[in-house]
Amino acid sequence: MTYAQTRIATSTAVLATLLASQQAHAANVAAGTLIQNTASASFTTGTATRTVDSNTVTVKVDELLDVTLVTKDSAPVSISSGSAVLTYQLTNTGNGPEAFNLTANPTVSGNQFAATVTSIAYDSNGNGVYDAGVDTVLPSGTATPSVDQDKSLTLFVIVTGPSGMTDAQTSKVNLAASAVTGSGTPGTTYAGKGQGGGDAVVGASGASANANGPLVASVATVGLVKSATIADPFGGTQPVPGATVTYKLVATIGGSGSIAGLRLTDAIPTGTTYTAGTLKLDTTALSDAADADAGKASASGIDVLVGTAAAGSTHTVTFNVTIQ
Amino acid sequence: MNRNIPARLISSAAAVALGIAFAGAASAAEPVSLKGDVQVEKVVTENGAAKTVLAPPTTVVPGDRLLFTTRYSNDGDKPVDNFVVTNPLPAPVRLAADEGGYEVSVDGGKTFGKLAALTVADAAGTRRAAQLEDVTHIRWTLAHLAPRAAGALEYHAVVR
Repeated sequence: MTYAQTRIATSTAVLATLLASQQAHAANVAAGTLIQNTASASFTTGTATRTVDSNTVTVKVDELLDVTLVTKDSAPVSISSGSAVLTYQLTNTGNGPEAFNLTANPTVSGNQFAATVTSIAYDSNGNGVYDAGVDTVLPSGTATPSVDQDKSLTLFVIVTGPSGMTDAQTSKVNLAASAVTGSGTPGTTYAGKGQGGGDAVVGASGASANANGPLVASVATVGLVKSATIADPFGGTQPVPGATVTYKLVATIGGSGSIAGLRLTDAIPTGTTYTAGTLKLDTTALSDAADADAGKASASGIDVLVGTAAAGSTHTVTFNVTIQ
Repeated sequence: MNRNIPARLISSAAAVALGIAFAGAASAAEPVSLKGDVQVEKVVTENGAAKTVLAPPTTVVPGDRLLFTTRYSNDGDKPVDNFVVTNPLPAPVRLAADEGGYEVSVDGGKTFGKLAALTVADAAGTRRAAQLEDVTHIRWTLAHLAPRAAGALEYHAVVR
């Protein structure tokens, strides 16, 4: 049984080593490295032992052009009326420093809305998040700075949503990167364009990569329902002169996110007179005067500034008029 | 690998001629000459079929397979014994396959053996079976080289 235990322990060690060696393989020999091979021989002739060396053959390693690009957004990024930031990570998997051309395309099959790309930036300060005014925006047609072998660069695509998008709609923005030196079919050689004056050879990636960044629309909607209740002077509900009409405006916020600056206004109908001091927002009475509270009312109409209203909330304004 | 097939003998004739010329210039110091060469495997498509050919190493990138060849010849008129050719593997490459015909070292040339029989210490200090990428040296041993005997020793390596 001791033997079996030993075997198990050994196989675990081998497994760990295999993983380690695969990781070691990830790093390519740098472009410009010299591979130099020399053999030597020893032999005997008669009683003498002698040695001899071969000539040294030298091969210079050329530049391999390879790149990967992935989205760093594990969940869709919410986009509402303002801008949204998608985050990507580019890694130079070639063997020399290389810059990459970038193209952001908001038209991806299956998109429910098309975002507008405002700009592409890279993470100048290396903190992984977009800092407007700090991280460098790449002017259109400008490549990334040179990225060293096996190093990564965090990229940001800043987008805005269209006015017509509705809540929970999804969209993707494709970011594509290709090596400035050249890209195309793996094996394509760009003579003399490699690091250190050697050739540059397109690797398995085609020296280009792309990834989709996910967006989800966060749009709040307003539903407004107006109703009227009549109380006549005789205890009934007939719309006769002298009857009081209570108008009720109910704003229901749907979707997700919130509405900024929600304002409810209504005109006093012709043939009726506003009943002073009857304006209310939910259960709170509002003075008729234009003052510190949210509402005002006059002979011509009412005006209530609800302000920011979150999705899922309702806001009710009531006021009374008298039929002339 | 000790190649004594006719095709190799044709090319070794050139090596012999070169060896003699060199020996003449260097006033006949060494009876045995070694001539190294390197080629890169390239995949070409011919009539729709992919085919691997050997080409001069004008363009070489990580992942490429190289064929290192050492041609030997006994240019003298006396036999040579215990002919041992040692080839340190260049650091930027790893052995592509254990092709047999040679012994390998995984400890910088101190000890040699069959790859399957060798172990190396891992980070935790325990021994594990040696892998192709652990090989540091290759060694061919030929007991006897007759006068005018020639051949080629070769190994495949992959650029790391």
